[in-house]
Amino acid sequence: MDEEPERTKRWEGGYERTWEVLKEDESGSLKATVEEILFQSKRKRVTESHGQVRLGMMRHLHLVVDCSRSMEDQDLKPNRLTASLKLIETFVEEYFDQNPISQLGIITTKNKRAEKLTDLAGNPKKHIVALKKAVDTVCLGEPSLYNSLHLAIQTLKHMPGHTSREILVILSSLTTCDPANICELIKTLKSLKVRVSVIGLSAEVRVCTVLTRETGGSYHVILDESHFKELLMLHVKPPPASSSSECSLIRMGFPQHIIASLTDQEANAAISTSSGADLSLGGYFCPQCHAKYTELPVECKVCGLTLVSAPHLARSFHHLFPLQAFTESPTEQLQKDRFCQACQGELKDKSIFSCPSCCSVFCVECDLFIHDSLHCCPCCIHNQSNP
Amino acid sequence: MLNIEGLLVHFPYDYIYPEQYSYMLELKRTLDAKGHGVLEMPSGTGKTISLLSLIVAYQKVFPLEVSKLIYCSRTVPEIEKVVEELRKLMEYYSKQTGESNNFLALALSSRKNLCIHPEVSSLRVGKEVDGKCHTLTASYIRAQRHSDPDLPVCRFYEDFDAVGRQMPLPAGVYNLDDLKDFGKRNGWCPYYLARYSLMHANIVVYSYHYLLDPKIADLVSKELTKKSVVVFDEAHNIDNVCIDSMSVNISRRTLDRCQTNVETLQNTIQKIKETDATKLKMEYRRLVEGLKEANVARETDVYLSNPVLPDEILQEAVPGTIRTAEHFVGFLKRFLEYLKSRLRVHHVVQESTPQFLKDIFDKVCIDRKPLRFCAERLRSLLRTLEIADIADFSAVTLISNFATLVSTYSQGFTIIIEPFEDRTPTIANPVLHFSCMDPSIAIKPVFQRFQSVIITSGTLSPLDIYPRILDFRPVTMASFTMTLARTCLCPLIVGRGNDQVALSSKFETREDFAVIRNYGSLLQEMSAIVPDGIVAFFTSYMYMENIVAAWYEQGILENIQRNKLIFIETPDAAETSMALEKYQEACENGRGAILLSVARGKVSEGIDFVHHFGRAVIMFGVPYVYTQSRILKARLEYLRDQFQIRENDFLTFDAMRHAAQCVGRVIRGKTDYGLMIFADKRYARADKRGKLPRWIQEHISDGSLNLTVDEAVQLSKHFLRQMAQPFRQEDQLGLSLLTLEQLESEEMLKKISQIAHQT
Repeated sequence: MDEEPERTKRWEGGYERTWEVLKEDESGSLKATVEEILFQSKRKRVTESHGQVRLGMMRHLHLVVDCSRSMEDQDLKPNRLTASLKLIETFVEEYFDQNPISQLGIITTKNKRAEKLTDLAGNPKKHIVALKKAVDTVCLGEPSLYNSLHLAIQTLKHMPGHTSREILVILSSLTTCDPANICELIKTLKSLKVRVSVIGLSAEVRVCTVLTRETGGSYHVILDESHFKELLMLHVKPPPASSSSECSLIRMGFPQHIIASLTDQEANAAISTSSGADLSLGGYFCPQCHAKYTELPVECKVCGLTLVSAPHLARSFHHLFPLQAFTESPTEQLQKDRFCQACQGELKDKSIFSCPSCCSVFCVECDLFIHDSLHCCPCCIHNQSNP
Repeated sequence: MLNIEGLLVHFPYDYIYPEQYSYMLELKRTLDAKGHGVLEMPSGTGKTISLLSLIVAYQKVFPLEVSKLIYCSRTVPEIEKVVEELRKLMEYYSKQTGESNNFLALALSSRKNLCIHPEVSSLRVGKEVDGKCHTLTASYIRAQRHSDPDLPVCRFYEDFDAVGRQMPLPAGVYNLDDLKDFGKRNGWCPYYLARYSLMHANIVVYSYHYLLDPKIADLVSKELTKKSVVVFDEAHNIDNVCIDSMSVNISRRTLDRCQTNVETLQNTIQKIKETDATKLKMEYRRLVEGLKEANVARETDVYLSNPVLPDEILQEAVPGTIRTAEHFVGFLKRFLEYLKSRLRVHHVVQESTPQFLKDIFDKVCIDRKPLRFCAERLRSLLRTLEIADIADFSAVTLISNFATLVSTYSQGFTIIIEPFEDRTPTIANPVLHFSCMDPSIAIKPVFQRFQSVIITSGTLSPLDIYPRILDFRPVTMASFTMTLARTCLCPLIVGRGNDQVALSSKFETREDFAVIRNYGSLLQEMSAIVPDGIVAFFTSYMYMENIVAAWYEQGILENIQRNKLIFIETPDAAETSMALEKYQEACENGRGAILLSVARGKVSEGIDFVHHFGRAVIMFGVPYVYTQSRILKARLEYLRDQFQIRENDFLTFDAMRHAAQCVGRVIRGKTDYGLMIFADKRYARADKRGKLPRWIQEHISDGSLNLTVDEAVQLSKHFLRQMAQPFRQEDQLGLSLLTLEQLESEEMLKKISQIAHQT
């Protein structure tokens, strides 16, 4: 195989057996296709996440990105690194969208070492800029799972007990080059209550299975790019808080956004504390110590108060009162015309989903969309507004 | 509780695989017919528990029809595994029926594994333990002790002898450790206790050799009841076990040791003659009366017959020429000298047994008849002379066994004398191979004596060849497939390199640079995409050495080592087990490893690579036996003449069963998954492919027949990703895992009937 980096044409791509995907299973159930199992797990995800569980809303997540030689593999287009970084960008945005009062940091690992790309922080922009830059990194050597986890622990272990400590590893390589026995580290992680999840880009590796099982995380291996995205998005939702995590009331400040006029004497003195370099006139002022910040959410660097805005909290609200799961039933049972209430498309799949409160019918895709993004049933809302 | 054609079977698990049900069905039919069976079922589908639960149920319902189950397995760990399954079953029984269990089941192994005598058990080597035990427990030693109480004694044996025989072992399931514990608690010798308890145990689990090796079978198994069911598990190599147990190899060293043995014998005889001449006279008288007793026993069908002790001998008395001890020793000496002269050859000699007998008569005037009594006569002499350490006399025992065999069987054996090994033609190392070519000789008594013999394994294809080479008529022959909720095995035949060079290990291309390079690139590419462990098999040590050396020169090894560590199996057992340990460690902590090993070696037969220990196995080449070996040639000739099996058919069959064994190492259950890569274009041919077990064969699609390395890599990547998706028990339920209700549904029963493939 030629190893030229630019390969966008279909005929230059890998040897794919597209016809085999279409294969009909004549022997009936003897070989249940993986697709069906996947479909069920997709559904399961929706139903599983519901119920009244305490969720760890304040999250501290370290994202570990493998930048080893194997990331040059071109099974994701144009290569694994570029594709993953792009997906991670959307993940970062989505993450802060859904978890406004959480923080995230990125670690890269290559050539048997681990490096911090960004520190644990609540600002999506900084991460995204760093990720965009990282596209040009050269992929080298082997990753080190041990070193990256170790690096992540260094900061995570100082996080307060009522927040969640999480590590998400995007691992492309099938090998890891470690300076010490990783089993010991897994024990440390467990005692520190760090939850480690792994998304594998090539195949199931034993040590990751053990790692995730021991620390209570999840382990998935991607099938293709869209599956990869799906798996990443699984980590957007806050995980249920472990019962042992501390329970406490948290002081929070809700600063107002004030745009000072140039003539204002006081404003000139204040510099934005968060982004440092650039001067700005407007900003959020900590209700306690009046330090100025350009962005929320943030932890006040002067007095340590968590500063959020009310809409942020409101956005986290749906996690607490999730939309009920829709009931699944075979399409044949539906007497009326078979159209999805949301997208108006014809219902072709063998099962349909109906909202338990307004009995509207939806297709799988809309069901997922409603539960993942809208968080409320459009038909119920419609009925409410038109009594 | 299952209903198998009217027989209620307790099955200790909540769920059952459909093929297990089907297996039990066939097994029941075999037992009903009181015949023999050949059953092939993939490993990891619960063969052992199916066998046990059906036969135990059968024993409980028809205690008069089947009174004993003899379960033969290969290694001690396998024996232990069977006992554990049995324990689970028995616990389930007593929980279900509420009554305490009245079954006695036990495992038996050698003294080495069972001895609890503090001094004896500290010895490491099996032979030493046996010898030492013998010096403490032989009957005449114990008799001597009456006059001389200072002699060392094994109190465990004494205690057992005093009271142990009156008190049968209480019902229950005993593995080797349980026996030892029981022995320690009561102060009884566990080994002799187990051997004694064999007679009334309901289930016996032990090694093949206790039934097939005539020397051991005679001691241990000969009184087992006729109404037994014998199971040979992992029996794909049973013909070789049979042959090995009947073959004798005599080197110059053996003869030298034999010489010293004979001298010791002579001295002892001299001594005894001076002190206790009556003893020898007694023996003489006994020999005159002949071996009548043994004959009576065989006629009344008490014993399993011993193929070394042919029927004719029993009807006659020991011939006069060897009746007295001195004459016999003289006779042995002459025989020994003859053998020595035969070993002084400079070219290879091959002759049949009648030729050998004629020659020996011409040269040293040894008749056929005394030769036939040689083994029996020696045993009698050793008993009379009260020689304690039998282990020292292994050489002379070997020679006398050879004498008996050579004079008894005019067919089925051949004698080959090689002055040197093929590999080292300059070093003289003459060996006389007396090789058995007919496995049916050793196993014949087993088939004749026991009402049902079941031969089973994960790889027995093609099924019809086993009855032919073992010479028996089975009532059932069936091969079962593995029902799978997801296709968890992926056999690929890689026939070409990326440069279209045909990959093959055949002799002509063995040194071909291009082939070796392509094999290297196959392993390298695989090492990059397969997680954790890969096992690679070569056809021989020599071939492996050559290839690895070439890879090293080409820098391929270095590239591979970036992805995974490399471990190599060597003929040395300690080194290999060390390599295995490190290999597993590397798989465990995420570094990944490759084990390079050899088909027919230790790794290919006994070691399982479950889950991450083996995600892929690569078979480089077709593992044919070394076809230039004279023993093999003789055997092939014999098979052709006697059983009408063509040489090529047998060679292919033998190669394919070993290949199947090798690749079968990775799949050890339904939740396991693994790639099976056959890297040789010859596998694509129908005659090779058709000899793979059905459960592998049915997953080889036409599309995966003659792949290039790249294509194989693409397919493997796809397969590994699919397999890494979450797989829960619920996904299996109803397809490959059944509850009782599901099992009883009409539709499922119909499906089950297709699982067994009758031939």
